[in-house]
Amino acid sequence: MNPTTLKLCLMAVLSLVGIGLYGLMICRNLIKMVIVLQILVKAAALGLILAGQMSSQINLGQSLGITVIVADTIVAVVGMALAVQVQRRLGTLDVDALSSLRG
Amino acid sequence: MATFLMLLTIGLPWIGAICVWWIGDRRPRWQHILATGFSVAAGAASILLLAFSSSGVALRIPVGGFFGDFTLVPDGLGVFLAVIAAVVGSLAVIFSVDYMRGKQQLGRYYALILLFIGAMAGLGLSGSLLFMFVFWEITAFCSYALISFHNDDPKAVAGGIKALIVTQLGGIGLLIGALIIRSQTGNYQILDFLANAASIQPSILNLIAFGFLAAAVAKSAQVPLQTWLPDAMEAPTPVTALIHAATMVNAGVYLLARFYPAFRDVPGWATSVVTIGLLSGLLAALMALVANDIKRCLAYSTVSQLGYMVYAVGTGSVFASQFHLLSHSVFKALLFLSAGAVIHIVGTRDMREMGGLGRDMPFVRAVFVIGSLALVGLPIANGFFSKELILEGGLMHGPRWAYIGMLLGAGITACYTLRMVSMVFYRKRGSVKASHDAPVAMRISLGTLSLGVFTTWLLAGAFGELLTGSLPYHQLQTSKTFDLALELLNAPATWLALLVILLGFALWMMHKQLKPLIVFLRPLSRIAENRFGFEHLNQGVIRIARSLSSVLRRTQTGQLNWNIVGIVGGLGIVLALLTWRI
Amino acid sequence: MLEAILFALPILTALLAGIQAIRTRSLIRSALWLAGVSASIAVLFYMLGAHQVAVIELSVGAGLVTVLFVFAIGIAGAEIQPQRPIVPKTLAWVLILVAILLLAGFALPFATTVQHSTEPETTSVFWQQRGLDVIVQVVLIFCGVLGLLGVLAEEKAPLDQPMVDEIAAERERDLRNLEYQSSQSMVSSQQGQTR
Repeated sequence: MNPTTLKLCLMAVLSLVGIGLYGLMICRNLIKMVIVLQILVKAAALGLILAGQMSSQINLGQSLGITVIVADTIVAVVGMALAVQVQRRLGTLDVDALSSLRG
Repeated sequence: MATFLMLLTIGLPWIGAICVWWIGDRRPRWQHILATGFSVAAGAASILLLAFSSSGVALRIPVGGFFGDFTLVPDGLGVFLAVIAAVVGSLAVIFSVDYMRGKQQLGRYYALILLFIGAMAGLGLSGSLLFMFVFWEITAFCSYALISFHNDDPKAVAGGIKALIVTQLGGIGLLIGALIIRSQTGNYQILDFLANAASIQPSILNLIAFGFLAAAVAKSAQVPLQTWLPDAMEAPTPVTALIHAATMVNAGVYLLARFYPAFRDVPGWATSVVTIGLLSGLLAALMALVANDIKRCLAYSTVSQLGYMVYAVGTGSVFASQFHLLSHSVFKALLFLSAGAVIHIVGTRDMREMGGLGRDMPFVRAVFVIGSLALVGLPIANGFFSKELILEGGLMHGPRWAYIGMLLGAGITACYTLRMVSMVFYRKRGSVKASHDAPVAMRISLGTLSLGVFTTWLLAGAFGELLTGSLPYHQLQTSKTFDLALELLNAPATWLALLVILLGFALWMMHKQLKPLIVFLRPLSRIAENRFGFEHLNQGVIRIARSLSSVLRRTQTGQLNWNIVGIVGGLGIVLALLTWRI
Repeated sequence: MLEAILFALPILTALLAGIQAIRTRSLIRSALWLAGVSASIAVLFYMLGAHQVAVIELSVGAGLVTVLFVFAIGIAGAEIQPQRPIVPKTLAWVLILVAILLLAGFALPFATTVQHSTEPETTSVFWQQRGLDVIVQVVLIFCGVLGLLGVLAEEKAPLDQPMVDEIAAERERDLRNLEYQSSQSMVSSQQGQTR
């Protein structure tokens, strides 16, 4: 692989992280936040595979990537469970309603 | 063998704590039996441990590169602290059998006390600073939880939180010191640090020394952080006797004594220690002179006596300070426990309501007077020998002004002790009456302790040998008990001190005749009643913290989005710092 | 150059899908755009030589998770709210730009290939070098199953409004108590002064 491609891929990882963080700041819907979180974690997995490719240890990268995907799926499932429960209890998915931690 | 005994001393109380808690509050009889059994067994193990003391590491368990090794070192100082914790602890538990009979939530009470005893023994025996810190914090937690034992009483809860916060200040000092030592010597081992102390940069050693001093001041309730101890008197009395008189408050003095060889040459350290000891010794004695709550009075006296020990470390008499620690643990535990017996039977803590109780409870009066003799420092009682040793060491190696102050303190001690004894046991009858004398279990522990008051000073020679034999860095010089006693009796300083003590007695005996003088001293006593303004200082700190937190409260919106803004902002700051290597 | 263009295609798709997933109002569409991100990333994985992960990503990320999302949205209801963001958009933009540019400054210089000795198969890496991780993953999956049970849990009656009010009232009471206590302690200290 030539360096231009590597740089391109790195930039893709960073942009996806940026998109994910931006979405987390902007979104008010809980389920949507979980979705955006998924984008963020996918960026991380891509970063791991890329690192594996760059250090020509692609199999180590793959195994780490699998771990990330597993963790990520579980985060999605638990996040959605929480969102559904919140919706049932409070009747809305707006994070503004979840501000009982206000100081 | 030493390893086994050390593990027993630390482990037995903890196993006992679990058992007592597990057996549940439905079977109080079993709780009493179990708690007593485990604490007495731990006490026995710790006494056996005395025979196996050595200066080296006896047990080493690797806990990974980050935490270093968990080590146990059975050297004189540590074993001695463990013995005091376990033996006085078992006596306090025996006393509790009567004191807590029929009370609620015995499981919590005994479990916390046993947890405390184990942690205190561990604090003494641990050879690794990090684990010492862990034990240190466990004792602080137990102290907090036991002060707030009556958790339906807001005063008790407030006192507990105060004790927790103030001792945490000290804990931070200890942790900072430990981390710096780790960064300098590469591990947390106390022995390695003492061996390499000279090679550490002076400025860094300074930081460690004063961090540990802060820890000691907070834990041993010295000026200016002494305010938590009087408020800690809301705890049940056996707890007070154990934690806030005999053991935990000694941890600070122990820390100073332990690291004395390393900090000896740090400029200004010895002077600060002496000053703190002097101020605590004098101010607390003055406060004890005007306190009307018997436990508070004893608490101030504890602060004052701890001041003597700190002063002794400052003047280089580590042995005298540890010896006084031993004497003080015995006689102050005795005083507190007999005060506890009085409170338990009479039902009040206010000395103004007492009076003439001696006729109703001759046994308690007898042991209380014995304890007072030692507190004042009259011959035959152990307090005499240790206090004279401190004063003599102060005269020879310490600054003169501090010596005079401490001598004055001894006089005031005599005065307030006499005041206390006469207010409670003699005088004309007060508004309350005692229905009976102390019950059996109380008598057992009180009797043992009062026996200790007369005998522990005989151990001076053996104790000195124990310390000199196992502390390679302290360069202690001690002599046989007999020589020591002879030397003390021949020293002019001793007679001077006795004279001052008698003067103190006379001052209280004639306080009716000395009205003009007392009127003259009125402002001073008023200041002492106001605790020399330290309470206002605390209030000020609290007010500042409150207003700060009400400002910071606005940043806690509780909204997820803002939290993420915080996270991303933090990421940006960290990256910026890394980029420009600030 | 050709290689770079070849890579640019899935990358651009992923970015576009990601932006769309955030922009769209409808939750269902958002979930579908996420599947798009997932699929294009799986393609990228494949192109980078991580074949196994590509397959897993495609089936789990694009398939299973999307189904789950649609399912959950179906339960929770795809409400479309007035979405005025809580955080000002400009602030978000500035923060993101700063953080990402700094990150790029760190990462881009390292974009070179390092030759490494031959390494074992993915499966052996997984089972031999990272055995502990596998156990942790098993635990994680167990947690995930519990979480799924949470989604499927029987519908309970929503908390009554009075109860929410009660919680708020309790909070107010606590706060007032706190203030009362502080004023009390100040009063008592002043009393001490006058005595």
